[in-house]
Amino acid sequence: MDKNEVLIQLQEIFRDTLDNEEVVLTFDTTANDVEEWDSLTHIHLVVSIEKHFKVRFTSKEIQSWKNIGELADGILAKK
Amino acid sequence: MVFNSLPFVLFFLIFFFLYWFAFKGNYKLQNILVLGGSYFFYGWWDWRFLFLLIGVSALNFLLGIYIDKTESTARKKWLLYIGLLQGIGGLFVFKYFNFFVTSFIDAFAAINISLSIHTIRIILPLGISFYTFRTISYLLDVDRGKIKPCTDWVVFFSYVSFFPSLISGPIDRAGLLIPQLQKKREFDYEQAVDGFRQILWGLFKKLVVADNCATFTNEIFGNFESLPASSLLLGLFFYTIQIYADFSGYSDMAIGFARLIGFNITKNFDFPFFSQNIAEFWQRWHISLTSWLTDYVFTPLSIQFRDLGNRGLILAIMINFLIIGIWHGANWTFVLFGLLHGAYYIPLILRGKIFKKKKSLKGKLVPSFTEFRNMVGVFLMAMVGFVIFRADNISEAFGFYGKLFSSSMFSVPVISNRSGAVITMLFIIVLFVIEWLGKSNEYAIGDIGTRFSKPVRWGIYYLLVVTIFFFAATGKEFIYFQF
Repeated sequence: MDKNEVLIQLQEIFRDTLDNEEVVLTFDTTANDVEEWDSLTHIHLVVSIEKHFKVRFTSKEIQSWKNIGELADGILAKK
Repeated sequence: MVFNSLPFVLFFLIFFFLYWFAFKGNYKLQNILVLGGSYFFYGWWDWRFLFLLIGVSALNFLLGIYIDKTESTARKKWLLYIGLLQGIGGLFVFKYFNFFVTSFIDAFAAINISLSIHTIRIILPLGISFYTFRTISYLLDVDRGKIKPCTDWVVFFSYVSFFPSLISGPIDRAGLLIPQLQKKREFDYEQAVDGFRQILWGLFKKLVVADNCATFTNEIFGNFESLPASSLLLGLFFYTIQIYADFSGYSDMAIGFARLIGFNITKNFDFPFFSQNIAEFWQRWHISLTSWLTDYVFTPLSIQFRDLGNRGLILAIMINFLIIGIWHGANWTFVLFGLLHGAYYIPLILRGKIFKKKKSLKGKLVPSFTEFRNMVGVFLMAMVGFVIFRADNISEAFGFYGKLFSSSMFSVPVISNRSGAVITMLFIIVLFVIEWLGKSNEYAIGDIGTRFSKPVRWGIYYLLVVTIFFFAATGKEFIYFQF
């Protein structure tokens, strides 16, 4: 799986979890760019991502991501 | 020296002149002035607490540098713990020590064991809750690698004691304020006018709305046992408006003064009473505190508890709001206030409503019936909570609730100054209409500079100044100074 594939799958997870089909992700997307992505939905996203990719992150890793690109790198590093 | 006092006006005039004329173009000298001015401003209240402020600044300055320098993870952690211990320990000693001692004695007295532990007389250093949160977040951000440590002590000490927001916030993050202290600042006429405008709006909220409400809330809360429920309801309505106008008015002034010296600091209120549910209310009320807790308490906790599903989320919310409650002071009333607001989230979480974003009302002239009903609902929930917030102790709060929910709700309110109450009510309506029309702006009248021609604009300023002069109630302290 390459980084672009991860991005496509992440976009699907975001659309499902945030209940918004219009969410478009790029590697530079941050929480400020997606209206529904706040501190409360964040935790749902993390759980969905971990389940989908069958990975487990530490608290520190989760809090270190600055954008979707870093999250995708985090997923690939665990694979 | 409060913002709306003669000493502060004189202080700020001299400061402004030196800052933009004598030290023009030299930001390092301007920073020294900011630091000296902040210490003068703080020392005006009580110079003894300056030692604490300086000591705290020095310790955290050094810790920040060493946390970054140290290679060993274990050592980094220890340095961080020293900082956290100082911050939380300082708050504990000055704010909560007696509360814990008396609660401990009461708990043992309940099982018939009498303890003789002495409480000590401690005076609360002004602004300690605000500047402690600045230093804690600074160290955590350095530790997490979010920011680089500050190596210029004048800049760091100025960040901790920045006078516009030292006493009552907003609680600025280092990542926002420190970079502004590290670069050249040019006088910008538009920015200065905007600062003045926001100060004027803050003065209106504080002196005309909040202080007039205070006259009635003091009367009604002081005698609630002998008044009918309708008076209590009116008093509670006035108090809810008072606390908003008081604190958001103060924040407007703080932001305005910072803008006058070339800084953009954190927004603290975003029209909270136009929220659609309680979660949105807390995203718009005392934003600098709630976002601080979201970043450093709620998010780490919710990550830890993520395997517990909704129960984990509720637990994280309850702990978060417990801290919001006791941040306000050492009293069981604040504990209960926090827990009540935390509990308000539970139905939203269980029904999954919290994860669905409401459409923003910004730019909308007329709300739909449901939107209006939601706003009223949020206001009523806030009102219920403010009974506990205002009460001196839990039994007083329940005494108030007992009187409030009684049949005398449907009687004519008893109030000593009826015409005064009507005028205050009119000012509240004016406040809400202007806020509704200006809810897309940074602050309610933020866009009149671009929206109206010069004569209309000046007409509005003149009207505000005249209203403040004629209708300002006198001598009320800012509520948030006690925190």
